Amino acid sequence: MSRLRGLTVPLVWLGLLLAACVGMDQLEPVFRWLEPSSRSVIYARADFLSLLGKHVLVVSVAGALSIIIGVGASIAVTRQWGRDFLPLVAQVAAIGQTFPPVAVLALAVPVLGFGTLPVIVALLLYGLLPIVRNTLAGLQGVSADVREAARGMGMRPHQRLWRVEMPLAASVIVAGIRTSVTISIATAAIGATMGASNLGDPIISGIVNGNTAHVLQGALLIALLALCVDSLFAWLQSGRSGL
Amino acid sequence: MIELKNLSRQFGEMWAVRDLNLTINKGEFCVLVGTSGCGKSTTLRMINRLIEHSAGEIHIDGQPVRGFREDLLRRRIGYVIQHVGLFPHWTVARNIGLVPRLLGWEPERIAARVDELMALLGMSAERFSGKYPRQLSGGQAQRVGVARALAADPEILLMDEPFGALDPLTRDGLQEELLSLHHRLNKTIVFVTHDMDEALRLADRLVVMHEGQIRQQGRPIELLREPVDEFVESLLGGNSRGLKEAALTPVAQRLCHAEMTSGVPDIDANKTLRDALSLMLWHRVDCLNVVEGSESLGTLRLADVVTARAPMGTTRGLSS
Repeated sequence: MSRLRGLTVPLVWLGLLLAACVGMDQLEPVFRWLEPSSRSVIYARADFLSLLGKHVLVVSVAGALSIIIGVGASIAVTRQWGRDFLPLVAQVAAIGQTFPPVAVLALAVPVLGFGTLPVIVALLLYGLLPIVRNTLAGLQGVSADVREAARGMGMRPHQRLWRVEMPLAASVIVAGIRTSVTISIATAAIGATMGASNLGDPIISGIVNGNTAHVLQGALLIALLALCVDSLFAWLQSGRSGL
Repeated sequence: MIELKNLSRQFGEMWAVRDLNLTINKGEFCVLVGTSGCGKSTTLRMINRLIEHSAGEIHIDGQPVRGFREDLLRRRIGYVIQHVGLFPHWTVARNIGLVPRLLGWEPERIAARVDELMALLGMSAERFSGKYPRQLSGGQAQRVGVARALAADPEILLMDEPFGALDPLTRDGLQEELLSLHHRLNKTIVFVTHDMDEALRLADRLVVMHEGQIRQQGRPIELLREPVDEFVESLLGGNSRGLKEAALTPVAQRLCHAEMTSGVPDIDANKTLRDALSLMLWHRVDCLNVVEGSESLGTLRLADVVTARAPMGTTRGLSS
């Protein structure tokens, strides 16, 4: 039960997020005070809930793909047969981390055109890096004695991976996924400049039209989404840290 | 029975083990000793194929180890390492039950076996089975390590410096328990150490290795008395071999005066001549009363300790 009680914080953030989406109109006086001269103070070109849905979808798809590819690649290069590629993957991960996400997005457009696809690809590529780095660190952090004992007791390679190495590396891997997804939520907003419709829309249009209220509305919703997801990961990690 | 025939292992250009021949009988306590890098650990790890041999053969009960799938082979051989390597995310009970679980035993049978092993190693199941490895002391962790190795009742136990990281007192206690376990369970044990006192104390058969080859093997007392060369002699302790031999000889063996002497300290008949000498030095006396429990057996004189029946064969004396 105490495990479930930890869900309170993410649920509170989720409640605030949904309330903000549905009830943004109620805050009109506040935004009117900020932006007295504009014709519209509440972003109305699209419904906030549907923007939120698209935002979550893009981040989820990109996140799921980064996890599958990132964790998969890291597992592969820490096996006996994939060890030759370990330096390569580790270096690519390290170099990639120094790339600003905007640059990744800008580079993706000429190749993939405008729309949701380049955003997913950019988020996927940028999100891979913390996951790979942490998965490698987690798997390599399993002590040599434990691995030796697992082999010596007669565990098969897949048993060693799933019963020993992955559970022991889990908290570090989840920390990497947490970083990756949280960054993606923020970065996805830039995708609005490339025609992907999401919570970045109010921000971009607010900047273009000089409407601070719209910028703030988008930023508020993205921040609430990021806090909600981040606290969800914090809860996931707290369940693992007892190991 | 474990037979190593013309066994070799090469790492790059270097021979870690070269052309080694050794037969370990069933139920024997075989200790491999030598300096670091002499190939003793490599030899041990070739038996359960953690390291594959480059040449030669290893047979267990007449069957070549390469004839088994490696994980199945290892489940039949207990394995204990210096830093224990308990799985930190599993409880003590789950750690001990690992190999039976891999072998697909029924949960009830595993639970019963885990309790039995904890009792065997003097750990209260109630107190320890739910604990995690980080909550154990070094000695307790290694007990669990030994229990885990014994879980599926293997015929053979391989131990790679299992007590090397423990404090002397804990090490002493665990050596004692291992000896008594060996007497009770009659497992074939292959034990690697560089601690010569530990080796002499535990071994039925002592194997001295140097540069990947066996320099000498035999009963500890034979090696002490008749080392084949200066390397073996110095490894066995050089001039302190006298005391090491004394540590292997029980007091009862030298007892030849039945009468009692008054006013001298007692010594238990199960203690060693080394203990007797130490007592004499400490109390500045030259005889001790030998007792067994509350019963007096007679007197041990300094002369009895020093002058033994002449040992067999030629003797390499201590250099003066």
